[in-house]
Amino acid sequence: MASNAAALTGKDIGMSSHLLNRILATAGIVALLSLVAVPCGAQAAAGAQAPAPPAPQSGAPGGLGAGPGGPARPPAGGGGGGIFGAPRHVPGGPVQHLADGHPDMQGFWNAANNGGAVFEVQNHPTPRQGVPPGKGAVVDPADGFIPYQPWAAAKAKDTFENHLADEPELHCYESGVPKQMYVQFGFQIFQPANYFVITWEFMHAVRIVPTDGRPHLPANIKLFEGDPVGHWEGDTLVVDTTNLNDRTWYDTVGDFHSDAEHVVERFTPVDSTTIKYEATVEDPKTLTKPFKIAMDFYKTNDPKYEQMEFGCIEGNQDVQHYTKDKGGAAEVKVK
Amino acid sequence: MRIRPVGSIVAGIAVVALSFGTARPALAQNSTARGPYKVPRTPDGLPDLQGIWQVRDTSAAYDIEDHAGALGIPPGRSIITNPADGRIPYKTGALAKREENFKNREMADPLNKCYMPGVPRITLMDYPFQIFETPKYTLITYEYIHIYRTIFTNGTQHLEGLDWWNGDSRGHWDGDTLVVDVADFNDQTWFDASGDYHSDKLHVVERYTRTGPNTLQYEATIEDPETFTQPWTISINLYRHTEPNFRILEYECQAYADEAAKSGGQ
Repeated sequence: MASNAAALTGKDIGMSSHLLNRILATAGIVALLSLVAVPCGAQAAAGAQAPAPPAPQSGAPGGLGAGPGGPARPPAGGGGGGIFGAPRHVPGGPVQHLADGHPDMQGFWNAANNGGAVFEVQNHPTPRQGVPPGKGAVVDPADGFIPYQPWAAAKAKDTFENHLADEPELHCYESGVPKQMYVQFGFQIFQPANYFVITWEFMHAVRIVPTDGRPHLPANIKLFEGDPVGHWEGDTLVVDTTNLNDRTWYDTVGDFHSDAEHVVERFTPVDSTTIKYEATVEDPKTLTKPFKIAMDFYKTNDPKYEQMEFGCIEGNQDVQHYTKDKGGAAEVKVK
Repeated sequence: MRIRPVGSIVAGIAVVALSFGTARPALAQNSTARGPYKVPRTPDGLPDLQGIWQVRDTSAAYDIEDHAGALGIPPGRSIITNPADGRIPYKTGALAKREENFKNREMADPLNKCYMPGVPRITLMDYPFQIFETPKYTLITYEYIHIYRTIFTNGTQHLEGLDWWNGDSRGHWDGDTLVVDVADFNDQTWFDASGDYHSDKLHVVERYTRTGPNTLQYEATIEDPETFTQPWTISINLYRHTEPNFRILEYECQAYADEAAKSGGQ
């Protein structure tokens, strides 16, 4: 894998390429790429049989184009996927059911590359500062844009332009909901009795969804991943998540919510390798009305695929690599 | 605060003599007047260890050996059952690094940087964790910095060449006991907050045995020929949370540290 990430640091900017500087300035993406680099490299090299360093760092091998699904990645049925291109999808047979009667969604999954939602969840038809254009994943409202209140739209814009160093994952925080569902490297679903548990390689995040009808936590307990409570409607798992804090974003470019966020997700398997996913997001403090995102999850078809350990704070150098104009520490030399 | 005698054979013998016979016996409550405890089964027919568990003896997280109390450090007995003296069988010369770690623990303890605690330290910490079982995997999710361990019970072998904080966990059922072989560690984690350490040759075999409706015996045998003269074993009891509304929440060390740094800087 060609290593660009090492060069993609504020300290090393000596190139006159205006475009590159623009990309570098979008530090969230740089951080994202550098976080991508190591584990996906390990996976891509030899399935799950490759060594992985204790903690991914900025400056590790990898870089633009080397992400999962990117051109440097050999076509394998492993994990990854979802950032630069859709993961491989092998159409499946009929949905299987477990002894408890619920559909069997266990296994490794990846969000399809729904318009680059992990970069920017809403419609972004024109490229800006290193964000590739895409449709995002917002299906309601029909224009694909987040229905922000004016102050919130202004704040998101200001964050993108001036404060990308606040990007939560850069600081090794869990991704929140719904973003957690479309982060890179995918996730594993477990269905022990009365639970639906999801684990992610990225940031070793976990969501424990009880399906036993318990009530939500008291409102004063705020969590990065919130309090998910599930129930089944036929083959669809419906997950109601409250108790979310205001420290996560919907994507990497500053789209945000308050601690009044409430998300209702629907996981519907349509065949043995495809889950239709929908999430309706409510937040009366930042939105004029709820919005809905939709995407597919594809099942990983490599029987040897396993999740690797993902260290973040154990080796994190992203904050140092953020440029000063984005709230970081690194100098920018613009020629 | 306990000071370990360094390089003093006489003092060493004295400590051994003092602690001889005090090693904590393994939990022996797996039988009652009505006979041995019958471990329930999951719907899949596996011994059911599921539930939310936590240590009650919180002192081991500070020091797994016998130690007196100090400010902020609860006193406790050694959880080492083998060797019988309850001491970690460090190789000659290996104690010096432990002493160094202890002295510098405020900066050197990986936990004070919000790093992953490793195994078995994660089990000893005063945070709950939840065990889930499916036929192919036993999953343990920990409240502390949302760590999870996927324990493969599908017959697969360790991967090679990894260098992980929490190691690579492959398990099997030995009767009603879940046996987990953990390898592929790095050399960055400690066993406790007192600087007890290992090399990247660490190999841990854990045994999880349910001994009653609300008790689990946790045993871990630790091998590291670079650091220890022999394998040694710890044993500690875990207790099940029976409060109906008990939940695994979040302890987000890094986020709290950032918050504290921010408010401290203002």
